[in-house]
Amino acid sequence: MSAKLSVDESRCTGHGRCYTVAPKLLSDDDEGFVTLRGSSMEITDDQLDDAEEAVAACPERAITLTLDN
Amino acid sequence: MTDTSRASGCPVSHHDYTLQRPLFETYELLDAEREQGPFLLNDARPRPFWMITEYEHVLEALQMPDVFSNDVTSALNPGRTTDLLPQHLNPPQHTAMRRVLNRWFAPAAVRRLEPLVLRRCVELIEELRPQGGCDLVADFAIRFPTDLFLATLNLPVSDGGTFLKHVENVFTGFRGQQLEQAAASTQWFRGYFDQAVADREREPRDTETDFISRLLVSQLGGEPIPRDDVITICYTAMLAGLDTTRSALGYIFHHLARDPGLRHRLTAQPELWPRAVEEFVRLYPLVFTDGRQVTRDIDFHGLQLRQGDVVWLGLASANHDPKKFTDPHAFDLEREQLSHHLSFGAGPHRCLGMHLARHELVIAVTEWHKRIPDYELATADQLYERGGQLSIDRLPLRWTV
Repeated sequence: MSAKLSVDESRCTGHGRCYTVAPKLLSDDDEGFVTLRGSSMEITDDQLDDAEEAVAACPERAITLTLDN
Repeated sequence: MTDTSRASGCPVSHHDYTLQRPLFETYELLDAEREQGPFLLNDARPRPFWMITEYEHVLEALQMPDVFSNDVTSALNPGRTTDLLPQHLNPPQHTAMRRVLNRWFAPAAVRRLEPLVLRRCVELIEELRPQGGCDLVADFAIRFPTDLFLATLNLPVSDGGTFLKHVENVFTGFRGQQLEQAAASTQWFRGYFDQAVADREREPRDTETDFISRLLVSQLGGEPIPRDDVITICYTAMLAGLDTTRSALGYIFHHLARDPGLRHRLTAQPELWPRAVEEFVRLYPLVFTDGRQVTRDIDFHGLQLRQGDVVWLGLASANHDPKKFTDPHAFDLEREQLSHHLSFGAGPHRCLGMHLARHELVIAVTEWHKRIPDYELATADQLYERGGQLSIDRLPLRWTV
């Protein structure tokens, strides 16, 4: 199974909840946006919990986790 | 003009939300209105407006700046009496100015300010502790953010004392009252910031650490930011940062004064303060409404909106919407999706100062409870909250020295 985490640039407005709840997975840039804004990353099995927490924390629903079996 | 003849079948609200009320009455009225329906027409102000009450609709509207524009930012007072930046801009001009401002208010910038925030907070608390009591609102909750605002902008912290009276006057004006006095105070602020700009034009400071110097060399669309706009940005940041933090601290301390069990738990486990602050911010939204102007005719989930209509986006009503938050009036540290509250707004105009605000609030409650863990309300009198943008008028506390 592989998983991918993406941040929609048009929806992300920099609330910073994702990198606050998942600091090992995500980090912030100088403007306070998650550095993943507008792109995506592969998620390993041991990162899955953090990725799910980041998705759930976003008030703008800007983050999606896609799982491929 | 909002055409009231389209209100057939839509409940009508006659509540004037600019009025001072007994503490928590505003939230009670908003709950009762949301229970009447997702949309109401409010006719209590000179210009009627449509109230959007449910979480999902409010969030969606905040994320649609092309339809819900910041040509109006207050349904209660849609006529512009004061220029605010970047609040009064729409994308793409808004986006460009936010790019310049974001880095001063981003978590990384807030972290750099931490030693100063901590020092000032402890100084204020240590000054109050031997007194055995204080008015939390006047003696702590406004002094702390005023000093931090000035520090953030690299302005003399000693100017804080003069600021407060003028802040009060401006907010009175936002409720449509004592407009001449409000205008005079706005002029006072513009004069103050004009002087700060002039100082830096004469003698530029480090653009990495000095906010105004940075604005003076920043470009928007290849042009420098006009001098007047630099002053407006400073003025807006001041209005946005001082009153809200004061107000949040008032509601938070009111809650904690009456809940010793929670207070003791948080004092014993200070790592819980950030989550507690987030839940307090959800539970007690101060900016309880955001205003917008409709740019084109649209059917919004059954509400027929016309170009030029004014809408009220019910931020507090959304935070207390039981369809979104279970048992919404309970303080719940374990609440799921606690960060989904709309107290800082959402969409492109979400609060620029949110990271600074969270940081200030967490430091204030952490340091306070290290030093004054036990206290109680020192009055049995009815307390009141200001309308327009909520703030507790006073909060007398006492503790054993």
